[in-house]
Amino acid sequence: MSKEEEYKEMFYAEAFEHHEELDKLFTVLEKNPKDNIVIDNIFRVTHTLKGNAMGLGFVEIAELSHVMEDIFSEVKSNRINLSEDLFNDLFKACDKLGALIDALKTSTKVSYKGIRTKLEVYLKKVRGTTDQDESPMDDTPLPDIAEGKPEEQGNEIVLEGTDTDEATPVEADLQPEQIETAEDITSEQQEEIEPESEPKEEPEQEEKQETSTKISFSDQVQIPVKKLDSLLNLVGELIIEKDSLIAKNIEKGSRGGDFSRLHRITSDLQYGVMDIRLVQVGFMFNKFHRVLRDVASIEKKKVNLKLEGTEIEIDRNVLKIMSDSLVHMVRNSVSHGIESPEERKKKGKPEVGTVTLSASNEKDTVIIEISDDGNGINPEAILAKAIEKGIVSQSFASQMTRTDILMLIFEPGFSNAEKITEVSGRGVGMDVVKRATESIGGKIDVKTEYGKGTTISLSLPSSMAVKGALLFEMAEQQYAAPLSYTEAVVSLRKKDIHKTNRGLIANYLDKTISVVFLSDLFKVENLNHVHHNGALFKRFDKVKDTEHKMDVLIVSYNEKFIGLVVDKLLQQKEIVEKTLSKPLDKVKLFSGATILGNGNVCMVLDIAYILRNLFRETVKG
Amino acid sequence: MEEKKEVQEVTLEEIKKEVSNAQETAAKSGTRIQLIVFKLAGEEYALPIDDIKEVVLTPGIAKIPQTPAYIKGVANIRGNIIAIMDMEERLNLVNKKNKAPGSYTLVIASEQFKVGILVTEVPNTLRTYSTEIDKADNIMQFSELDKECIKGVVKDGERLIMLLDIFKIMEIEELNKIVNI
Repeated sequence: MSKEEEYKEMFYAEAFEHHEELDKLFTVLEKNPKDNIVIDNIFRVTHTLKGNAMGLGFVEIAELSHVMEDIFSEVKSNRINLSEDLFNDLFKACDKLGALIDALKTSTKVSYKGIRTKLEVYLKKVRGTTDQDESPMDDTPLPDIAEGKPEEQGNEIVLEGTDTDEATPVEADLQPEQIETAEDITSEQQEEIEPESEPKEEPEQEEKQETSTKISFSDQVQIPVKKLDSLLNLVGELIIEKDSLIAKNIEKGSRGGDFSRLHRITSDLQYGVMDIRLVQVGFMFNKFHRVLRDVASIEKKKVNLKLEGTEIEIDRNVLKIMSDSLVHMVRNSVSHGIESPEERKKKGKPEVGTVTLSASNEKDTVIIEISDDGNGINPEAILAKAIEKGIVSQSFASQMTRTDILMLIFEPGFSNAEKITEVSGRGVGMDVVKRATESIGGKIDVKTEYGKGTTISLSLPSSMAVKGALLFEMAEQQYAAPLSYTEAVVSLRKKDIHKTNRGLIANYLDKTISVVFLSDLFKVENLNHVHHNGALFKRFDKVKDTEHKMDVLIVSYNEKFIGLVVDKLLQQKEIVEKTLSKPLDKVKLFSGATILGNGNVCMVLDIAYILRNLFRETVKG
Repeated sequence: MEEKKEVQEVTLEEIKKEVSNAQETAAKSGTRIQLIVFKLAGEEYALPIDDIKEVVLTPGIAKIPQTPAYIKGVANIRGNIIAIMDMEERLNLVNKKNKAPGSYTLVIASEQFKVGILVTEVPNTLRTYSTEIDKADNIMQFSELDKECIKGVVKDGERLIMLLDIFKIMEIEELNKIVNI
């Protein structure tokens, strides 16, 4: 589907709903013409519709809804009385609006000018007296988009529409409730996802729409994400039940094949439900035009946004979690990356910088890249800053590789900006981005060439529902470690592990790596205390037999390896990870939990957190 | 004659009862509320019935390292992962470290919190009136927890039942310490 068609589809689906809402609102209002809430709602809907239509160049719809909006602006300020005649005309206008929206599909011609003129007459009557009052509603304020987040799903057309809208300065006496209602729309729509399927033709519209009011149905349904989530939960439970059923029957001596149909159906069902949650990244990318424009105008830079791979599909929840981060990174690219037009000219670059948002698929992951053709990152400046801020010690700095240094920008408290600007924040920076990425099992990477530009790439799971994990046992309880962080599984004897002053080390593939007994880690109150009182040796010292073999999980994070000694390794399994709710939402050692075939809960280790903290301790220590 | 007297007495008794009933209803004119009453460390505590989603036999609990002692771990209750909390330890009612966990779990009805409270005996229900709840203002309060967690004291004949505010308890900052790790 081309970009334009995609917009049109989205507009159609929204407009269709708006029209139905209007129909309903008018009916309610007719019964109680003094209901201000309904009047406000009508005003809001017509305004949105107008903005959307204008942005996409559907002039007829825009004009008609504009007049209706004007009327209700006057109704709001009590200058028009809602007479019976007016109601009749409004209903007619509403029908026409519906016909016009339908006409997008059927390309029939709909004459709407008559009713429009009729409505304009009402307007002229009141406006004739207060002439200078040039339609104040044209300046309807937008929700503050400078701070706007792209998670305002499904609203981008509104933004763009109003972008091209009136540029008249905002009047001082703007009604605050308009802002509220505008925000209402966004939050309402936030919960919705756009099904990818195209809406098909409406039930055939007959020629004589003029007289009969028809009841029609859209072929798209909008489902609150909550319902989808609970559906997915149920599927997760079904899979668990299936697993336990199969496990029980294998014990009884039946072959696993007996359940192959059940297996297939549940897995089809699971992928089906997961598929519904997928949305095209384009829906979110498109919101960045506005984000970029705002930053660029504040920073007085000239920047273009280029979008690539907008058709790539990704779990809606992944996008939602990442949306703030993406906004942050795009802002960063403009405010830190792209140089001012003069500077660019001097360097022989085109005056207008480019920020590219691109998405691509790689197996089960989606890679989102934010790149700019700006100044790039200077590793030396980063390192100097990090030392100054005490993030790394001077002695450690000399050993750091270029990649290590670049990754420092993701450290908490590191903000390379010389000054705190309006745009790129107050110290909540790239560390938040990194944490968000890792919270969903993604990885982050920076490539930069000083003077030429920077690319930050995020590899994100395309679905958050299922992930591979390795199950192991600790103190007779099962735990899981995500496979994405697991390098290998080895068996070490006690004599393979050596004690140093701070911890344990062993050889793995000719590299020396640290070894930590997970049981020791579980016992310390706080990861900052791991080096106190030999906390890391406790379990090791208990093992007497030097030939005693231990299961070790080699996990990696940012090219750093650690061996985690567990009591017993079990099997590899696909798990449905659930995040922990309050009051456990801030437990750090675990990213979530899953339910096993036997109904028990199994905690999922947050490898990224553990390694990040263990290594930070060593850097500081 | 004998018989008749007896009959009369019964009616008298009934009349008395009715009168006292009427008086009682007049006194209990506040809104009717239903409570779930359970024992913690030998004393009776209660929660409004609407705060409780269900009462289940405590399922297998998976421990979570690096959390306070009163968080016993998490359990799978109808596909939801619920934090299991020991109220006796939470309210510092007992100090026993290795006591047997309660056999029943009261699952709290909340969108925000997924938490269950352990109790040893099957909880009962109690109907009462809002006027029967004494605000706990006159009780000594040593900590924020004391102040916030007891909404009032319900009198039911001889019984004194502490009405807990589970959501306040959950909100109190101490719980967030779980986390400062």
